[in-house]
Order: sequence, then structure tokens, then C-alpha cells
Amino acid sequence: MNRNVVVIVVVILVVTGMLVAGKFLVRQPGPGVAALGNVKGQPAPDFELQDLDGRTVRLADLRGKAVLLNFWATWCPPCKVEIPWFIDLQKQYGAQGLQIVGVSMDDAGPDKVSKFAQQMGINYPVLMGNDKMADLYGGVQALPTTFYIGRDGKFVSRVYGLVSHGEVESNIRAALGQGRAMTASAGGK
Amino acid sequence: MTPSLRAIPVALALVTLAALALTQDIDKPLTPASATPQPARVMVAPVPLLPVRAGRSARVEMAFRIAPGFHINSNQPNSDLLVPTVVKLNPPTNLSIAKLTYPTGQDLNFPFAPHEKLNVYTGDFSVGALVSAARTTPPGRYRVHGTLKYQACDNKACYPPSQVPVAFDVKIGKPAGTQRIRRNPAQSPHVHQ
Repeated sequence: MNRNVVVIVVVILVVTGMLVAGKFLVRQPGPGVAALGNVKGQPAPDFELQDLDGRTVRLADLRGKAVLLNFWATWCPPCKVEIPWFIDLQKQYGAQGLQIVGVSMDDAGPDKVSKFAQQMGINYPVLMGNDKMADLYGGVQALPTTFYIGRDGKFVSRVYGLVSHGEVESNIRAALGQGRAMTASAGGK
Repeated sequence: MTPSLRAIPVALALVTLAALALTQDIDKPLTPASATPQPARVMVAPVPLLPVRAGRSARVEMAFRIAPGFHINSNQPNSDLLVPTVVKLNPPTNLSIAKLTYPTGQDLNFPFAPHEKLNVYTGDFSVGALVSAARTTPPGRYRVHGTLKYQACDNKACYPPSQVPVAFDVKIGKPAGTQRIRRNPAQSPHVHQ
């Protein structure tokens, strides 16, 4: 009888131990951004999306550049305010290593987005986003949401909603390593 | 079979139970951030019971309240790019929906677009619809389900298109013009002999 109990206990302990270990070893969070909290200093998750011409764009391909990653949509009026700023800032800071990248969260196909991009005169890559990409970057529940990524591939700041031109430029300069990010806005993280 | 061997099936059963309990948690998918419930930006008011006679129509008004600080595009926004507010109703057999009427939106300026007026709803608004019942509709209570699709913004940001469920009950009465069947007047009982 005692022997039976010992066998049962040993088997249970071994298997339970393996399951518990597996639980803590396997269920590590993915490489995505936490939905809340400060992202500064965290590595920006790599992604692979198609641009409006069907070319594949990866964040890893932009390593060494400061990246402004702007989530937007054609149905988002505040996003339209920023786009002319981004066009000018890409011209102004492009030579210094800035690469602005738009991620359209439109459900409509790339044709509609492409037409809009042409009308606006967008001079930087626009990628077609999806839920997987949004999840990777913490959910992106409000538009515009903009991530500033340094040359080392780490986040400098994340900003929800429309902020001033000065704040956008300040964050760009910080991503380029020329200053500090502005976090005074209510949307800045 | 020795006693220790006989204990193995019991041990395995217990281990399986323990494993099932643990794996339920392990296999639970991580909730993606995008699946996080979003705060309701449009609330739906209860719709009173709508009486309709079979073969006739009646108007229903569905009332909505937009959370303070938010606005949604009207049904006729000023740009094709904007997502209009739309009610879609799925009536049961014998009922039909027509003439959806939306309020006229307000042309407002917002801090994010001071030179562009957006036609929007704020606060409370209602959408009307004409509910018609076929003459052959059996009397009774019917539920109409539907959705209000909208896209909300505040003064700094916009939120993905969303929808809220809408439902109301329709009480179908007898067809108009149906004559009541006259019952025989009460008679005192009598006994046939």
C-alpha cells in the first residue's frame, strides 16, 4: 500500500513539475509592444508589410536610420493634418537619416489608399497595415499613433493622437540623436 | 499484477486530471491588445414596443447617445473618405423595413481641422424606420435585430469603425378591417327535452 502511494506521488510530482515548468518557460510574451506603458528603450518589433506597389518592406531594412512609424487611415481627419508635415519633414531630415513610414489601417484595398497618397503627394513609403501589425505594436486603438524609433532600432517615444508640428519635429530630432523627445503632450508615452 | 503495477492506472488518471487543469491555462490564447474591449462611445436607448397591425406600417425611432467629448460622422459626411453612420436592420419574415431616416448632421470645425467643416452627430440623435407587416403576419411579438455602424473621433484622435447592436420588438395585431366574429349573445341555459 505504501509503495503504491509512493509511486502515485512521484509520478504526479514529476509530471506536474514538468507542466508548471513548461507553463512558465513557454508562455513568454511575444516580441510585441505592451499595450500600455512606456516603450522608450524597448526594441521596436520587426515587421514585414507590403507597400502600395506590392513591394515588401521590413523594419530591419531600415536599421541605421531614424524611423517615424505613423499609423493612420484615410477616414481619420487628424491624420490628414499631419501628412503635409511629414512630407516636409521627410524632405528636411531625410538626408540626415530620417525615414518616415506610413502604415495605413484602412480596410479598403491599396487602390483607395494609393489614390489618397497621390492626392496628398506623400513622398515616403506607405504600407498596408493589418491586425497582426497593430497587435505587434500594442493594439493601435487610436489614430494617428506614431512611434519614433532611433537608429539603434529602439523606441524613442510613442505618441497617440494629433500633436503639434513642434512636438513631431522634436521627436524626430530625438530619434536622430539630436535632442530629447518631447513627452509633454497628453498623448506622449 | 503486483500492487505497484495496479497503482499505475490510478496514478495516470490523477496525472491526466492535473495535466488537464494546467493545460487549460497554458492553452488559453494570449489576448491580443487589439481585442481589448474598447469603451462604448455610442449607447443605445431601449426602444418601446412597436404595435403594428398586420397589413399596415408604423414608424420606429431608435435613440442613441454619443459619449461626451466624442463625435461621429453623420449619415451624409462631407467626404467620401469618411465612414458614414448607418443603421442596418434584419427583420424577421413577414416584416419589412423601409425609409430609414437619419438626422441632419451639424457642420462643425474641430481643432485638428480648423479649415474643414465635418458633418457630424454629437450628443443624442435618433434614426427612424418604417416597419411594415405583411397582411398574413400571424399576430404576436417579433424581434428586429440590427446594428448601428459608426466611426468616432475626439478632438485629437479617431477610433476604428465600430458597431453596436440594435434591437426592438414589434407587436403584430390582427389585420386592419378584420371584423370581429360576433359571438352569440349570452343565453340562459336551457335543457332540451
